[in-house]
Amino acid sequence: MVVATTILVGMAETKTAKGPATFACLGLGSCIGIAILDPIAKVAGMVHVMLPEAFADRPIEKPGKFADTGVPHLISELEKLGAMKSRMKIAISGGAQVFKFGDGTASRMDIGNRNSTAVLAQLKSLGLHVVAQDIGGHNGRTMTFDSSTGEIRVKTVAQGEAQLCILR
Amino acid sequence: MANTITLEEIVAKTTDLPSVPTAALAVMREADSPNGSAESVAKYILQDQALAARVLRLANSAFFGLSRKVQTVPEAVVILGMRSVKNLCMVASTYPWMTRPVKGYLLEPKAMWSHALGVGVGAQMIASKTQSVSPDLAFTAGLLHDLGKVALGIWLENKLPAMLKIAAAMEAPFDAIERKVLGYDHTDVGGYIGEAWNLPEPMILAMRYHHRPDECKPESAVVDCVHIADTISMSMGMGLGGDGLYYEFSESSLTRLGLTVDDLGLLTDEFIERFEEQSGMFEGLDN
Repeated sequence: MVVATTILVGMAETKTAKGPATFACLGLGSCIGIAILDPIAKVAGMVHVMLPEAFADRPIEKPGKFADTGVPHLISELEKLGAMKSRMKIAISGGAQVFKFGDGTASRMDIGNRNSTAVLAQLKSLGLHVVAQDIGGHNGRTMTFDSSTGEIRVKTVAQGEAQLCILR
Repeated sequence: MANTITLEEIVAKTTDLPSVPTAALAVMREADSPNGSAESVAKYILQDQALAARVLRLANSAFFGLSRKVQTVPEAVVILGMRSVKNLCMVASTYPWMTRPVKGYLLEPKAMWSHALGVGVGAQMIASKTQSVSPDLAFTAGLLHDLGKVALGIWLENKLPAMLKIAAAMEAPFDAIERKVLGYDHTDVGGYIGEAWNLPEPMILAMRYHHRPDECKPESAVVDCVHIADTISMSMGMGLGGDGLYYEFSESSLTRLGLTVDDLGLLTDEFIERFEEQSGMFEGLDN
């Protein structure tokens, strides 16, 4: 549930906290919310990535905007607070997409699916794997993360809220 | 679920339909006319006191960062510029009903507004980039494209969960399910209201064909701009309701505007920057 003290993680933002905190990514369409917890250091954070990869010819003002820069950025911010990669527990949600038709090039416009693939590839390349994921489909989602319990909840407008997992 | 009510009945029986933005439409016509001046545009704004007050509030908002207070509407028109003022007027006159919840689509307060502004800003950006149509026209068409949802939403209340189940089971777009259940969809309702409001033809076309741009004959660049902007706004999660991203994307819209699938990522990136910049402009409407 999103309450007044919840740390909202807006589009392209990266937010971290040491000690108990509640984070939320609101209105995830094709975007992906990535939640990471180091339960030993009690360090947690989220990033709200919007696109799979940064553009070579455009400056990167917000690294959280892209999967290929957002994932390493969140991890390095968590490490600054004392987290260790080997202890990180991760959950992801989002990556919805519109229906598509047309010729075979359609998959390249499928930003939701490309975002999910890019996030998972980034995590894998850093030797990390996700504990739980709720990705794809055609529903918008809100993802909340309570770092004191490790609970991740995902809410869709049509289907309500449910627990995705407990990171611990 | 049988079809129990016709499109015409929906529009006739919906008591709290948004009212025609008469003054904003007059401002738009006047600003576009060769004889339009700041004075004459201001005259139309002043015909609607609520609109005049909102225009002044926007001109004096932090977004424009003016060092002194703008006192009169003609002064506001000069300062904001004729082009900005017509878009501002359309936003200012539709904002009160755009920010209301639309329960039938499970749209929370301000969700319709956030999506409408996203599509307006996106369509304007695509129009300007492709030089295919007037960016101002694309903005207004984008802003109003989902008008039909406001009327149809009242009648969809409690029906949405069942309709979504059908959409999910059939892997079919939500507008197709609306047509299956009701015989028409929110774009038909929007087009019908647009005609009743006597909106310019390209705006009516955007309302009617934004989910099926290939069916618009002859093709319309405004429809294509709105269709692409709608898809980007949905993807970026702007004002999603229960119908979420249950809509189809037509690549042909990109082709008709001389764009490719590979341009979508960059368009999305630029769109996010524009949206953040533009949404700041309208924060003053809440005060």
